[in-house]
Amino acid sequence: MTKRRIIGAVSFALVASLVAASCGGDSGSDGGGDGEPKKGGTIRILSSGEQIAHLDPQRNYTGTDLAFAGSTMHRSLTSYKYEAGDAGSEIEGDLATDTGTVSNEGKTWSFTLRDGITFEDGSAITCADVAYGVSRSFATDTITDGPSYAVTYIDVEDYPGPYKATAEQQAAYDKAVACEGNTITFNLKNPVADFNYTTTLLTFSPVPKASDTGEKYDMSPVSSGPYKIESYEIGKALVLVRNENWNEDSDPLRKAYPDSIIYEFGLEEATIDERMIADVGDDQFAVAEGIQPENLQTIFEGDEALKSRAIDYYDPYVSYTNLNNERLSCYEVRKAIYLAIDRDALRKAGGGPYTGDYADGFVKPALALDYAQSTMPEGLNEDGTANVEAAKAAVAEAETKCPDVVKLAQDGMNFYYPDTPVWQKALAIWQSNMEAIGFSIKPEAVEPSNYWPTVMNPETEYDIVRGGWAPDWANASTVIPELFTTGGGFNLTRNSKDPDYAEFEGLVNEARVNLDRVAQGKQWQELNQYVVDRLWALPGTFLKSQSIWGSKVGNTFQWGPFGAFCFGNLYVK
Amino acid sequence: MSATFSDTGSFVDDVSVAASIEGKSPRQLAWMRFRRDRFAMVAAGVVLFYVVVAALAPVICAVLGISPYELNSDALNDFGLPDGPFGGISREHWLGVEPGTGRDILARLLYGARVSLLVGFVGTLLTTTLGVIIGVFAGYRRGRVDAVIGRVMDLTLAFPSFLLIIALTRPFTQRLESLGVPEGNPARLTYIVLVLATFGWVYVARVVRGQTLSLREREFIEASRASGAGTGHIIFKQILPNLWAPVIVIVSLSLPGYVATESTLSFLGLGMLPPAASWGVMLGDSIKYYRADPTYLFIPGTALIILVLAFNILGDAVRDALDPKADRQSIS
Amino acid sequence: MLLFVTRRLMFALALLLAVSLFTYLLFAMLPSDPAALTCSKNCKPEIIEANRIRLGYDKPILEQYWLFLKGIFVGRDYGVGQAAFSCPAPSLGYSYGQHECVTTLIARTFPVTAYLSIGAFILWMTLGISLGSIAALKRGRWQDRAATTFSAVGVSLPTFYIGLLVLFSFCIWLRILPFPSYESPFVDPKSFFLTMLLPWLTLAVLSAASYTRLTRNGMLEAMNEDFVRLGIAKGLRRRTILRRYVLRSALVPIVTIAGLDFAALLGGAIITESVFSLPGMGRMSIRAVVDSDLPVLVGTTMVAAVFIVLANVIVDIMYGVLDPRVRTK
Repeated sequence: MTKRRIIGAVSFALVASLVAASCGGDSGSDGGGDGEPKKGGTIRILSSGEQIAHLDPQRNYTGTDLAFAGSTMHRSLTSYKYEAGDAGSEIEGDLATDTGTVSNEGKTWSFTLRDGITFEDGSAITCADVAYGVSRSFATDTITDGPSYAVTYIDVEDYPGPYKATAEQQAAYDKAVACEGNTITFNLKNPVADFNYTTTLLTFSPVPKASDTGEKYDMSPVSSGPYKIESYEIGKALVLVRNENWNEDSDPLRKAYPDSIIYEFGLEEATIDERMIADVGDDQFAVAEGIQPENLQTIFEGDEALKSRAIDYYDPYVSYTNLNNERLSCYEVRKAIYLAIDRDALRKAGGGPYTGDYADGFVKPALALDYAQSTMPEGLNEDGTANVEAAKAAVAEAETKCPDVVKLAQDGMNFYYPDTPVWQKALAIWQSNMEAIGFSIKPEAVEPSNYWPTVMNPETEYDIVRGGWAPDWANASTVIPELFTTGGGFNLTRNSKDPDYAEFEGLVNEARVNLDRVAQGKQWQELNQYVVDRLWALPGTFLKSQSIWGSKVGNTFQWGPFGAFCFGNLYVK
Repeated sequence: MSATFSDTGSFVDDVSVAASIEGKSPRQLAWMRFRRDRFAMVAAGVVLFYVVVAALAPVICAVLGISPYELNSDALNDFGLPDGPFGGISREHWLGVEPGTGRDILARLLYGARVSLLVGFVGTLLTTTLGVIIGVFAGYRRGRVDAVIGRVMDLTLAFPSFLLIIALTRPFTQRLESLGVPEGNPARLTYIVLVLATFGWVYVARVVRGQTLSLREREFIEASRASGAGTGHIIFKQILPNLWAPVIVIVSLSLPGYVATESTLSFLGLGMLPPAASWGVMLGDSIKYYRADPTYLFIPGTALIILVLAFNILGDAVRDALDPKADRQSIS
Repeated sequence: MLLFVTRRLMFALALLLAVSLFTYLLFAMLPSDPAALTCSKNCKPEIIEANRIRLGYDKPILEQYWLFLKGIFVGRDYGVGQAAFSCPAPSLGYSYGQHECVTTLIARTFPVTAYLSIGAFILWMTLGISLGSIAALKRGRWQDRAATTFSAVGVSLPTFYIGLLVLFSFCIWLRILPFPSYESPFVDPKSFFLTMLLPWLTLAVLSAASYTRLTRNGMLEAMNEDFVRLGIAKGLRRRTILRRYVLRSALVPIVTIAGLDFAALLGGAIITESVFSLPGMGRMSIRAVVDSDLPVLVGTTMVAAVFIVLANVIVDIMYGVLDPRVRTK
């Protein structure tokens, strides 16, 4: 269940653009020799979730959900190509005829809509529908959970969204997002060189104003893609059927092979694996993301037929451990902790090599320009096992340098973890590892759904908190600043009082504005090393995920940008 | 059963004991009957064995050189599954090792028995004591007291107890911690025991109340009252001894129910915190490995079944032994 | 009689009111902030505050409770402008997690729970009473021991363990049943039946265990009753005695308890529904616990309480009808 575990944990970060092929993985293992894709049949998706987090396009925001809703129901201005490997990370016009025109030094972007694009009731999709859809993002009290790019980028102040806007506020928005015939123009506050990547988000999908039911739109959004909702019952299933009013000629991307798609919710994880392994009846037409660790051996080391229906690939996520640098304010203590952790045992608890590779930083090799191998702290065992001797030496060193911090670590470090079986096992390993060097762990179990709100609360006195992140962009500017500067959205290291922090932030700001992409990459590499040298957080794993599909499903490649199936283009063999 | 907080059975109390209160049977007679029941003797032996083994868990583990917390990564293969057949059973690890961590299963089973038996015994003791006191009180005083207690019982019964137990685990554990109960497992154990008693006493009290109501009208009570016996004497010397049979049956039934409840909470991630072992934690964990490590799946389950079976046989036997009419079977 | 029934109903109503107040206060103690949970982790304090006001969580707890009560009778309105909507009476609130009025959600999930409960009930009564009768008649012999063992296994193993074992046995090892995938009986009766078979069986095994014991003990008691011995003395046939007197007298209390058990089950078989992926009320309520979805939690608790209280009233009234002495008490 690597995938389900990770997604549940780090849904924070969105995977928007990432070069998948350089990750390795055997994404080419499928297809070939099974004949041409053909139309017809029903594809099933087996899920342990109770629902799709959000089907409302402006609220939809995680890898699998974006890949699913985008490829079946919601068209956006631009889209990633529906292809495996590198090509899948390139963009193409979707509702728009091309990938947009930029002017005004990156501050104005316009897109021209295609002819023949329609909603599921047959009415034409107009520029106003797209503008209205985007405007919903601003109603942050109703349209929750969605990406905030539109709000951040678009040049309009204090616009509360269409539900509460006064006439003047609405007029200001209409100026910032202007319609001229079938051309929509976005006026941005600051230059955004790759805004056309942003427009792949479903934030930029059209919504017909007359059908907008606000909060309730999530259950019955109007389709602009090849499928529409036939029924949607949380905890049971979402059934999509063909949208007869979708015009194939207007859509260069979606192939829409199956006649219907059934998303089954609320299944026990063990049951999902068993059904997929058994491959009987309708399950031959099913796909499932994530495999339980206890079944990995059966699937990947068993018979070839089974192995050929599964994939083991690098997803866009990096896992790591945040330390509270205000309390653990001594490098030697942090180093002692890092050296004492048995990363090998933690990895075994999560499914062995299928969990991923030991990370040497926070930027995945997939971000080729921004990644360089880091120099890890001296004494860190390459095989992932604990180096108790070196850790004890670090403790001894710390005793003289910062006895207070050592005492804190010995008295008990507050370890906040989501109260799930996987983390309970991880906790047991941490406890035993820390004990080996005389440190101790004070476990703080947090209700899983409440985990991030709890640890993000500045008043929570934690010492150790988990972390997981995927870049929003194929640029480490969506990683390093997010995780380690005070302005970052996911900085849990509390490193602002570190003597080196001011210097670090200065370097980050320099890197941010560097327009020479290769030189900028070098800067990110150095900043990654900068953090590793200080161990504000402890690198964990470059994560992998596993997925499995039935014997009669084709086009099962993993779509790079999302780390998910390209759902809309699956077909029945 | 008297209070198994699972999907079923929450309302069942053992009404059948209603008739077993007639007359007071000499203790020796009961003991004689009990000893004649070979099944019961075996069952008593099993229960005793469990208790002793649980009490001596640290000693046994020390002798065998195993620990419930020590990680044995080497005993696992690359996938984190036990290396070797039958869940990694070996000379060092008699019952194999736990997948994922490599902890010794025998050691965890022994230590887990302590938690599970503790929850079972303390929970039962608390529930029964509360239930008997309130039940006797209501039944003996009757009238307004009985009416008030009756309404409180109605209110308690009206809650879907299992849902509440789950929903309130975290907030109440935190509250207990803030009240000074040691953090972590002591607080969770206290919560489980308290919540079992909160919802469980009603089932005992209902039976006891009914018994008391009918007892206090019996001739022998009338007689002692007429001969000037005080309330204390009547309750302690006349009524309580006659409640033994039903109470023992309730105990034998609720104990396994509480062990099951603890394990269900653990299955839902609300039971003992790591690295502590309990049978519940083990049951919940092992069920995932039905394919990869079936040995692990059956070990905690079997241990639990044997204990409960022993308790049931024991309860039945005690009940039969205390039943003065047991030897007068006239039909069948 | 009418007075008695009215009094019982009035009392039941008061009881429900007390239950709802208790539930509300208890859940108000939950540590999670429902307003914070309506938006994702990266949302700003202002947004959380705005949501708190929109959901009414800024109001004092007793006022919230009053709004909840009022909603049951007159319905409730939410949101402003085009995003406004309402939950008509009887409204139990609105779930922001599921984007639906709680009443609608319960109306949708309840039938599944009801089918589960009814089927399981029939199975477990049949199984429990037959096994119990056999055990009583063959007291002390192997049949009795077997029944005792069966009931011990039934009460001892937790629901999730039995449920998953049954699921694995029939669907994976023996491969004689398809994996559960719930379908309404009116849409696809065959699939419905095949899916429900195992959950029915699981619940039946669990409960039959208790009823086996109850029946056994009840019958043993009855066999010792004077009227039975009188019957024997009169020379009635054994079967007649057993059927007409022994079983009947043993069954009266069992039926009462069964009624209450059944009502409790209608409140949601949490674990069984989860294990077999049935979209019932129990599974919805456990999800609500995990997601801190307070309106759903309060709603399902209330509905469960209604069933329990109602069953109690019916049992009481039945007793009143059967036994005139109760009425005057």
